[in-house]
Order: sequence, then structure tokens, then C-alpha cells
Amino acid sequence: MPNESMLTVQAPERFTPWQRVLLTVLACAATTLLATPLLDYLALANIVMLFLLTVLLLAVTLGRSAAVLASVLSVALFDFFFVPPRFSLAVNDFQYLITFAVMLATALITGQLAAGLKRRAQQAQIREQRTRALYEVARQLAGALALEQVREIARQFVRQQIDAEALILLLDEEKGGEPGEEKSRSAALRIEEHLAYMAQESGKHVFNTGLASNGYASLYLPLKAPMRVRGVLAVGLPENAPELQQENIALLEALASLIAIAIERLHYVDVAHATQLNVVAERLRSSILSALSHDLRTPLTALVGLADSLFLIKPALPAAALDTAQALHEQAARMASLVGNLLDMARLNAGTVTLRREWQPLEEVIGASIKLLGGALSAHPVRVSLPPDLPLLEFDAVLLERVFCNLLENAAKYAPAGSAVEIEARPLDDAVEVSVCDHGEGFPTTRKDGEDGKDDLFNMFVRGQSESSKPGTGLGLAICRAIVEAHGGTIGAANRPEGGACVRFTLPKGQPPVLEEESA
Amino acid sequence: MNAPALKVLLIEDEKQIRRFVRAAVEEEGCSVAEAETMAQGLIDAGLRKPDLIVLDLGLPDGNGIDLIRDVRGWSDVPILILSARAQENDKIDALDAGADDYLTKPFGVGELRARVRALLRRRARSGESATPIVEFGESPGNISVDLSRRIVFRAGEVVHLTPLEYRLLAVLLGHPGKVMTQRNLLREIWGPSYVESSHYLRVYVGHLRQKLEIDPTQPRHFLTETGVGYRFQP
Repeated sequence: MPNESMLTVQAPERFTPWQRVLLTVLACAATTLLATPLLDYLALANIVMLFLLTVLLLAVTLGRSAAVLASVLSVALFDFFFVPPRFSLAVNDFQYLITFAVMLATALITGQLAAGLKRRAQQAQIREQRTRALYEVARQLAGALALEQVREIARQFVRQQIDAEALILLLDEEKGGEPGEEKSRSAALRIEEHLAYMAQESGKHVFNTGLASNGYASLYLPLKAPMRVRGVLAVGLPENAPELQQENIALLEALASLIAIAIERLHYVDVAHATQLNVVAERLRSSILSALSHDLRTPLTALVGLADSLFLIKPALPAAALDTAQALHEQAARMASLVGNLLDMARLNAGTVTLRREWQPLEEVIGASIKLLGGALSAHPVRVSLPPDLPLLEFDAVLLERVFCNLLENAAKYAPAGSAVEIEARPLDDAVEVSVCDHGEGFPTTRKDGEDGKDDLFNMFVRGQSESSKPGTGLGLAICRAIVEAHGGTIGAANRPEGGACVRFTLPKGQPPVLEEESA
Repeated sequence: MNAPALKVLLIEDEKQIRRFVRAAVEEEGCSVAEAETMAQGLIDAGLRKPDLIVLDLGLPDGNGIDLIRDVRGWSDVPILILSARAQENDKIDALDAGADDYLTKPFGVGELRARVRALLRRRARSGESATPIVEFGESPGNISVDLSRRIVFRAGEVVHLTPLEYRLLAVLLGHPGKVMTQRNLLREIWGPSYVESSHYLRVYVGHLRQKLEIDPTQPRHFLTETGVGYRFQP
């Protein structure tokens, strides 16, 4: 499609084609007039020289077509005005035919050569000027600090060098990779998005002359940077621009690659900047969390221990005081677990938790959780039923222990004393589903506003009954969800048909490591 | 009997925590020396020759783990660590460095006294010659291990263990009450190249529980210290 008209570059001419014809005719006429009085003194051969000189001068000043016209005209004028019989195209002596032929050939050849020379000189000049402009634009782009500057530099360059409008379309990373942006401001140039997309996808320029008349950009150049295509440079070359040549496209391609590199550089500056900010924020966040955790835990530890130490005082304190000490201990311990939950949630939300995933059997972490809760579960026997062929799973034992502890604690809190809590697991296709169920009232099925509230429970600070007499903050299930999701699983709540709440979560199966058989 | 009181060195920077830990330890009939900083603790550990060190891992003037390594260079005095929950790695490092047990803050006086008692008892026993027969658990299902003949009985019946299972059992029995880190156990039983293959350990502990525990899902003797390791509780 491109380069249909492969004319070479021409500097803007001083004269229109008609003016050139006129000048050529005038010059030839003048030569004739000048030579006429000299006819008596000069041999005809020398008059031929005068005409040849005219042709040469015309070729140099007005170009090839003028040279051709002048050659033919000179031969005609010479024949008509100087070769006997004069004022007639007829020729007496046939030798003159050779003169004409040689004269025409010489005129054409010298004209061609002179015009070609001139053209090449012009081209060299234009090339040199463009190279300089490219250097200049490269320098400007290297110093550009913002995308807007890059756009402006490109626009200026194209306007000056090609006298056309240009527009940079950036690949919009958020919007699925379509080149977009700047559409609203581009009154000067309209964009055929399909062509821009083609250019971006193919990595080659797309050119369609027909478009330019409607104010559309007709040339789309991909901005190919080392890493990837960063966008498209659209140029609206006017339709009647007589010559859109390889050189123009080559120039614009050079510009496009300079722009691409500048944009990529700016992109990585942004990336580096953002990364640095993240690192700083991350460090701050985790140091705040650990300071907070230490500062809150230390007094709570002292509180729990000091309350306990009241029991050690000799002689023993009155029973009422000891009851108070016991209550103090319990409240402080509850406060500590609350603080623990809050800090866990903050850590999980901040994304600063790195999972220490290891392959391990599920039953171990269940056993550890039950043991950890100890007395809190005394009124609720826990029944664990795991299929014997349950595969090893890859999880962070400390975090999964939190999940089981929270779920078991909930069960113990909301189910009547003496009722059993059941933990079950069953393998699915690519995951293992674990359920923790109790025999309590179950989750409230509707909220006050009538919405199904079960999934809501997994949000922070949401509780089944908002003003419940049971202590709690509504963080337990939110922590469970954060942990399960960090492991690539899902979690959901349901009520069993026979009554009782059930929380089910899944853990992906993955590829368990092979255990070498023991040679026993 | 009127043996001299056992000496406990308490290294902790928080005054109020020192106060109740001291009260709890004295209740066990020990004399307590206090140190506020690691530097002071190290000097006291050398001078006073304590029978037990209670060490807070978060000291202001240095890493408690270095202190453990230092002390382990010349003494096998039991070391009990106090640590916050967020310090799993510190706990593991401290146990690997030679600490014997840990308590997670906040902890009650009851727990503390139990740990102190267990550690002091173990120290007292360490002088005795190892008995060839170890027994634990209640009837039915009581276990008896004859270490000299490498035979394990459960309620009088011989239990078959594979060589690795037996080695694991023997190592755990050799450190009753002590938290053994995964890394330690893997190195001792499978060799140094297996220290990252924790699933071996977990699977074999599972086997031991299947064969020796009454309820393998809620073990009473082969306890999991989640994220840290295992503890054998006679």
C-alpha cells in the first residue's frame, strides 16, 4: 500500500510548472534574439553552442522538464531562424539533420545531468537538514521528563519537517491493550482506531492515503521499544501532498523509534519510582506493626502475669480478691487475643504475610489447634473424621492453625455446651474441602435489611447478631477468609439442614512431593 | 531434705514482667537473679552458674540468640525463652541454637511454673543413668519401650516400627518435654541433606501417632508445636 508514488524529494520550487514553461520559452526566445544579430559574424556551429548553454542554464535553474522542453525548443528555433532556408523548418543541406540530432542529444544529456546534479544537491541538503533535525529531536526526547513533553516534541517535529499533524497514541495498559488516550484533544487529527490497532499488532506501519481527506491520520507507525510496542504514532499526511516517499516514512520511522525509547524510559522511571515508594511504605508498615505488636503485648503480658501472681501472695488473699484476680487474668487474656487478631488482620491486609508453605498432613494442624484451645473447648467434644487417603497439602501451618482455632472458638461460643463439633475433610477434583460444623442455632439467615448475610460474615467487623451478648469483634471469620484466600482456596458459610452452622473451605491439592519408600 | 535452692537467672528488660516471673519462680522454691540487659545476663550466667535461664528474646541491647549460643559454648544449663507470637523464626533459631523450651507471650503463671518445673526436673534427672525402659501413657494403650532391645510394646503387645520410625521415637524419647525443631529432627534422623524435606518428618510423626496414640488426631504424647517442631510429652 505505501509508496505508490515513488517520486524523490524535491525542495519547494520557486515557480509553478506553467511559470517554468513560460520561462523556458522566454529564455529560448531571448537566445534566438541574441543570436540573430550575430548570425553574420558567427558560424552556425557557434550559435548551436549558445543554445546548448541556454539549455544547460535552464537545466540547472529549472530542472529536468525545463531542460527537455528547452532542448526540443532550441533545436526547433535553431532550424527555423538560423538554418537556411531561414524562417522555415525545411532544410537544404541534409548535413544539418546530423547537427540537429547531435544538438538535441547533447542538449538532452547535459540537461539531464545538470538537473540530476541539482536534484541530488537538493536531496543531500534536505537529508542533512533532516538528520540534524533528528539529532535535535533525539536530544530533546532524551531530556523529556514527562509524557506530555514527548507528545509536544513529536508534534512539533512532524509539523516542521513534513508539515503534517501527528499524534501519539499510547497503549492503555488498563484498558486491555487498545491504543487510546488523547482522543478528546485531537481535533486536528482523527484516528482510525482499527488501523492503529493493526499497526500496533503487526509491528509494521500502516498507510492509507484515502483517509487523509477526511481529516483522518493516514499513516500509523508502531512505537517499537526494546521491551514491547508502546503505542502508535499517527500522522495525517495531506492527501494531495504530491509525494509521500520512502524518505518521509523512513524519517517518521526513525522518529517513532526515538519516541518509543523515550516513552519506555519514562515508563521505567515511573516503575522504579513506584517500586521505591512501595518498598519504603512496606518497611514502614511492617516496622509499625511489629512495634505496635511489641508495645501492646508487653503490658498485656505483665497484666496477665501480675493478675496471676496475686494467687501467690502469702498469706492468701480473701476469696473475693482472688476472684477479681481471675477475672483480671481472663479479661487481659481476651484483650491479648483481640490485639493478636487485629494485628493479624492488619498484617494479612497489608499483604506483608509471606506464607511458609510446607507439605503436611491436615490432621496434624487440626490436632494442634484443638490442643491450643484446650480449656475453651472442654464443653464441646470435637469429632475429627478424615479419610485415610487424604493427600498431603501445602499450607502454612501457623496460619491454618489460626483458621481452625477461630472456627472452633466460634463453634464453642455459639453452640450449646455438650454438643459436638465436627471437623471433616473430603477430596474434590483439584482441592480438598474441609468443613467445621456445630450443632448450634446456625448462622442468622437474614439480616435486618432482608439481604442474605452469610457471605457478609467474612467481612471485617461483621457479626451474626450485631449486638450479641457473646464477646467478639467480628474479625475471626475475616482472618479465616484472608488466610484461606492467600492459600488459593475459597471459604463459605452454610447452615446444615438438621441445624447447626457449617463453615467450609477448600485448599488446592497441587502436586505433593514423592516420599521415598523406606527400605525396611 | 535441705538441698541448696536452685538458682534461676531471669533476663528480661520489662520490670513488671520480671516481677511476676520472679514471684512464680520463687514459688517453685528457687532463688532468682535478675538481669535487665543481655550484657549483664551473660556476665551473671558465667558468675552465678544458674540451674535455669529464663530469657526474653526481645532484649534492647542485642539478640538473645547470640546469648544462647554463647552460653551453650560452655554450659548445658536449660534455657526457657519468652517470645511474642509473631516471632516464629526467632523461636526456631533460638531452639536450634540450643534453647530448651519457649513460652509465648502473654502467658499465665501456671504455664510458667509448669515449664520451669519440667526443665528443672529434667536437669536433675540428667545426671542419672538412662533407664533402658521408658514407659508412658495410661492403660489401656500404655506404651513401654525397651531401648536396649529396641522393642516397643503397646498394652503388652509388640508394635512393629520401621527402622526410621524407631529412630524418630528414640530421638524424641531422649528429650522428654523438650521442643525439637523440625530442622534438628530431620538432621538427626534423615541426615543434613533432608533438612528442607519437612514432609518426611510429618509423615513419620503421623505413623508414630497412628501406632502409639489412642486418638492420633488428638495426640497426647507426640505433640505438634505448630510452625516450630515437635515435643514428646511422657
